[in-house]
Amino acid sequence: MKQKKLSWYKPWDPLLFLIPTLLGLIFFRVGPIIVSFLISFTNWDILKKPQILGLENYKELFQSSAFYQVFGNTITFSFIYVVGVTVSGLLLALLLNQKLKGMKFFRSAFYTPVVTSAVAVGIIWSWILSPKYGILTILLSKMGITSPYWLGDPTFALFTVALIQVWKMSGYYMIIFLAGLQNIPESLKEAATIDGAGKIKTFFKITLPLLTPTTFFVLSISIIDSFKNFELIYAITRGGPQNSTNTLVYDVYLNAFVYYRMGYSSALAYVLLAIVALITAFNFYGKKRWVKYQY
Amino acid sequence: MKSVKILIITMMLMLLVAPLFANSQSEAEATEEVVLQYWSWDPELKTRNETMIEKFEAVNPGIKIEMTTIEPKEYWTKIRIMASQQNLPDVFNLSAGYLEEWAQNGLLLDLGSFIDNDLDKNTFYMNLFDAVKELSGTDSYYAFPYALVTTCMYYNKDLFDEAGISYPDSDWTWTDFRDAAIKLTKDKDNDGSIDQWGYWFYGRYAHIESWVYSNDGYLINRDSMKFSPDSNAMEAIEFLTDLVLVDNAAPSKKEMSAFRQQDVFPQGAAAMFVDGSWNIDNNRNVAGDSMNWGIAELPIGPNGDGSLTYGWPDSLAISPNTKHAEAAWKFTKFAAGEGLSMDMVMAGKIPSYRPLTESEAFLEKDQQPSNKDLLIKQAAEEMRTSFTLSWGEWRGYGAAEALGFNGLIDGIIDSEIPFDKAIELANKNINTVLDRNYK
Repeated sequence: MKQKKLSWYKPWDPLLFLIPTLLGLIFFRVGPIIVSFLISFTNWDILKKPQILGLENYKELFQSSAFYQVFGNTITFSFIYVVGVTVSGLLLALLLNQKLKGMKFFRSAFYTPVVTSAVAVGIIWSWILSPKYGILTILLSKMGITSPYWLGDPTFALFTVALIQVWKMSGYYMIIFLAGLQNIPESLKEAATIDGAGKIKTFFKITLPLLTPTTFFVLSISIIDSFKNFELIYAITRGGPQNSTNTLVYDVYLNAFVYYRMGYSSALAYVLLAIVALITAFNFYGKKRWVKYQY
Repeated sequence: MKSVKILIITMMLMLLVAPLFANSQSEAEATEEVVLQYWSWDPELKTRNETMIEKFEAVNPGIKIEMTTIEPKEYWTKIRIMASQQNLPDVFNLSAGYLEEWAQNGLLLDLGSFIDNDLDKNTFYMNLFDAVKELSGTDSYYAFPYALVTTCMYYNKDLFDEAGISYPDSDWTWTDFRDAAIKLTKDKDNDGSIDQWGYWFYGRYAHIESWVYSNDGYLINRDSMKFSPDSNAMEAIEFLTDLVLVDNAAPSKKEMSAFRQQDVFPQGAAAMFVDGSWNIDNNRNVAGDSMNWGIAELPIGPNGDGSLTYGWPDSLAISPNTKHAEAAWKFTKFAAGEGLSMDMVMAGKIPSYRPLTESEAFLEKDQQPSNKDLLIKQAAEEMRTSFTLSWGEWRGYGAAEALGFNGLIDGIIDSEIPFDKAIELANKNINTVLDRNYK
């Protein structure tokens, strides 16, 4: 039987509905991305017309020692963040996947930092970690440990800020892992138990492998997320002490909106884009080696 | 069905077209009156500014002011974009740090002839106008200063009494200050760590430059436009950093990382503090009546004579593209002069309008400090600043506060970088920024 053609349907109709989204995408995403690429070859302070510099900004960037420090900080921060949120997100999810009373309370409690403003988080942690009066400092000194200057010492500051960000965001990845965990059929675990596998073996042989699609998703998202660390750094250390917490995204902000060096800042942003793209591509490339799908 | 469609389309068209009519109507009205755009950077003053505007409009029929208030954080980016589009508001707030850049890029109306012909010079502190001229690097006036910001020393009277030290006066020298700072540094609970410091500072501009100028020093060589601190400036930086490293009379920066920098003094953790005069406001808010405090001039350095002040004006500027320069001038003069009231100037800022500054209201006798007249004295003194193009970048200001020169001085007092190495780095980094700007 030949289906009757829908009289009201026109092939361009879906496009019509997409117009608002497409306009937003073109004007607020794709447009600025293209323009900032062009700006990265200029010297532009907003006030005057951009001057074309060619590759000067990129040259300056790769010749500046500060850039390599910032680059190193960015990679270190991302590494701590990605490993941190993946491990702690999974651990929290495992804990919350138990069927106990009051779980709902804990779920929302662990999620609270995610929705708390970075500024508030920054203030609270600065107090907790404060030398002399901070609660952590006092607790440690009761145990006979002299705490370092968590935020004031260049050796510790980056780790401290990265770990605060891990604390803040773990709840988000916990929710994703929780969804992944609840997707694993009980029957598989039961079968493993019947076959004589203990709890630990079941976790490593059944749960973890079946969770790999979720882990892959968490990795992809957290890698991208790890480069967006502006707020917390702005709230706590402002790139100091001694440049030790200055990351690419913070440097992009400083150059664009504090120094008004739009060209140089765009060049920095493009280097950041290249790094994120490279790591994400690498992650996708490695996917088939370790991600196992249930179906 | 068709008729419904037509009805809907007609209604939508009417909705679209309606605002056009509304607009043309208001434009018809506007032909009779001048509408000025005014951009302000202080959301806290919004209602008071509105009152001021009402007063202005009442005495100047035919001029209407439309005010836009923007958070300081976004103000500069937004107004820069307006400037690049040659679409600046007729009148806007301008800070001293941008005077040079804006004046030299032709973004400010030359107010020279207005000031020469239509300003009663006895009612304003004219040295502020001179400061504006100097900061702009031109020989005319490109902004109208409405308030002076200066730095002074705050001291905790209770802690001075407790230690039996007499209060600082205008003859105080660095030696007097240093001795007092050492005596005022105490471990009150005998736990082996100090809980009351004699003094508190870090690399912040107001904390360093104030001392450089009290010793008649220069950080910037204005002839070559290079960062090249002279011996007086170096003496000041060393004197300050030694307070932490040698005298143990001031804490390192990292020691104070949990405090907002401006709260160390009003919370009683340091007995003395030097910063902008606007801290009077914060001290009142944080300390309340719980402590007695006063203000004093900066102690005089070995090579200074106490006649130099670190101060800079906050200004109003007029767009060079304004179509109503006369009206904009009228409003500017009003907003910086008779339209101003004491509650519109943050405590500690000194209005350039003399009848206000020299009135009883300015002295605020019912509040601390009891000697606010000291600021009036400072307002008349010679002024120096370190402002240059890209000042925020090399100095390390705002979001870049932990970097630049600020960060290097923090490095010295935190024992991260030796003094000589920090100065060497400062020379190299700062001159890279300055060379980019002054080719």
